[in-house]
Amino acid sequence: MLSFIARRLLSGVITIWFIATATFFAMHAVPGDPLTQEKAMSPAVRAQLEARYGLDKPLFEQYRLFMSNMLHGDFGISFTQENRRVNDIISKHFPISATLGIAAVLIALVGGVAAGSVAAYCRNRWPDRLVMVAVIAAISVPGFVIAGLAQLVIVAMNNAAGKTLLPVAGWGSVSQIWVPALVLGLGTMAYLSRIMRASMLEVLSADYNIAAKAKGVHGWRLFWHHQLRNAVLPVVTELGPTIAAITTGGFVVELIFAIPGLGRYFVQAVQQLDYTVIMGTTVFYGAFLVLVVVLVDISYGLIDPRIRLHRGRA
Amino acid sequence: MSLLKLRSLQVSIGPVKAVRDVSLSLEAGECRALVGESGCGKSVTAMTLLGLMPNAAKISAEEWWFAGRDMTQIKEREWRQLQGNQIAMIFQNPMTALDPTQTIGAQIAEPLRIHKGLSRREAKMRAIALLERLAIANPAQRAEQYPFEFSGGMLQRAMIAMAVVCEPELLIADEPTTALDVTVQAEVLSLLQEMRESSGTAMLFITHDLGVVAEIADSVSVMYAGQTVESGSLHDVFSREAHPYTQALKRAVPSLENPKPLEAIAGTPPDLRQPPSGCGFAARCSKRMAICEESPPLMSCGEDHLARCWLWHKDHPERWREAEAVSLLGGKL
Repeated sequence: MLSFIARRLLSGVITIWFIATATFFAMHAVPGDPLTQEKAMSPAVRAQLEARYGLDKPLFEQYRLFMSNMLHGDFGISFTQENRRVNDIISKHFPISATLGIAAVLIALVGGVAAGSVAAYCRNRWPDRLVMVAVIAAISVPGFVIAGLAQLVIVAMNNAAGKTLLPVAGWGSVSQIWVPALVLGLGTMAYLSRIMRASMLEVLSADYNIAAKAKGVHGWRLFWHHQLRNAVLPVVTELGPTIAAITTGGFVVELIFAIPGLGRYFVQAVQQLDYTVIMGTTVFYGAFLVLVVVLVDISYGLIDPRIRLHRGRA
Repeated sequence: MSLLKLRSLQVSIGPVKAVRDVSLSLEAGECRALVGESGCGKSVTAMTLLGLMPNAAKISAEEWWFAGRDMTQIKEREWRQLQGNQIAMIFQNPMTALDPTQTIGAQIAEPLRIHKGLSRREAKMRAIALLERLAIANPAQRAEQYPFEFSGGMLQRAMIAMAVVCEPELLIADEPTTALDVTVQAEVLSLLQEMRESSGTAMLFITHDLGVVAEIADSVSVMYAGQTVESGSLHDVFSREAHPYTQALKRAVPSLENPKPLEAIAGTPPDLRQPPSGCGFAARCSKRMAICEESPPLMSCGEDHLARCWLWHKDHPERWREAEAVSLLGGKL
């Protein structure tokens, strides 16, 4: 198991190096630089700034410097936000994105598994049809539309109640997490419930399911002990990319609900060619994604004994 | 009183009349083989006897008694108390019938936990003891392993353990040896025989392997196209086969003592979506008569020996001669 994790982590390091290098050169290939602004800058000021940020050095020298700093865990200082260190931006705003993302993933996972199981149990009857229609809707309607609709619904609810049942936007209290998290996780929930339905249908007709019934196992016990664990495997496989996509892709939802997450800095940095923030956030997201995929692989082994590597076995 | 008495069971699944008329009876401790070709309704009969048919299946029987209970009146709740406790089943393919995500020990212990209310620890001890009785080495260690770590023969033993752990009164074995090597087959059969003798469990042994039947069964029921067409003691059905289908089956099995070319049964079984109104075997039968257009009931052709064939009707002229021959033969023996 340890060598398995070590191997996965090593390949993760190579992946991150590749992401960093590709991003670095792609970013520099874009016309313009962080110092290009609407207001003209005198050549002297420009030269001084370039020297300060190291932009006067040859590209490969810049690359070497960046890599060396990155290995020391330092992503440098933002170009556009005065004297703000990239590390500080990430450590202040990523936890907010991560909290929102984790809540969204949990909602998507629990909701998807439940909806998929109900659909499979009621195959071709109305609950199944209802779930499948909702799935298509949730997948095809874009997140920003759902976010707007959700806010409208909250406003209408608050108006009807005459008091604030749920805040429409903002961040800071638990009650402000659930609506944006639901909106963020909805598409994934739909996707996961489709996978869950298909794999649950397979389990329901499997020999071991019939054999378990023959032993007198029924109801919740049958579901927990024999069906869920087998049916959830394909869902867990999808979980790695899903977690990454949700935690890093919450930009639009964060914007609409006025949540100060990392997403907005990521997008702003690209628009303003803020070299250090682009590199910092990209490498950070890359590392995060790799870590999540490794964790999911490990959890897969916990659920499916066939994947687990055994004590004392080569 | 019989442990199981089933008269005229009918099961249809959608348009398919999978079981059209099955009558069976089993005494406590008896081993009855249920033989017939693929698709004749053997497995559907087994699943019905265990209450495992989906709700969509239509099930009816003129009479159905098990252990003194009228099974035509039974409720879902009562079924759950019977399943795995008083009636248990050994499935055909041990590779797929065990849950891949649960340890062998937990799966064997599960019926004890549900039906006997044993604690996790006690149930596990019993499971390990049973594995040991079934000649599995290092049972305590083996109980912690998962199905993918077991060989086919060992899996089948684990499945037998799962079925007999509550000492059921009726054990249904649905082709328990077809998925196994011939050497493992013999081992599993002798194990089953042993378990049965030690606990007095009755067994319904479903198979299409007549060799296995001869080895294990006390009595035999032959099925064809959703009906029991002949039933009797092992000796009756194998040596004095009364139904033309059983006779044809025997001619299709190679024999060491009397080697001769095997005869296949011409034609195919009827489509059970539109079963024939008369005798199901008539189209393939060499002794077909005009009356075979009508469906024959089970008719007596000896003591506890029944055949669903007009040849055995009391007014059939040959009936008289054969009956005489049988009694002569019986007298000589």
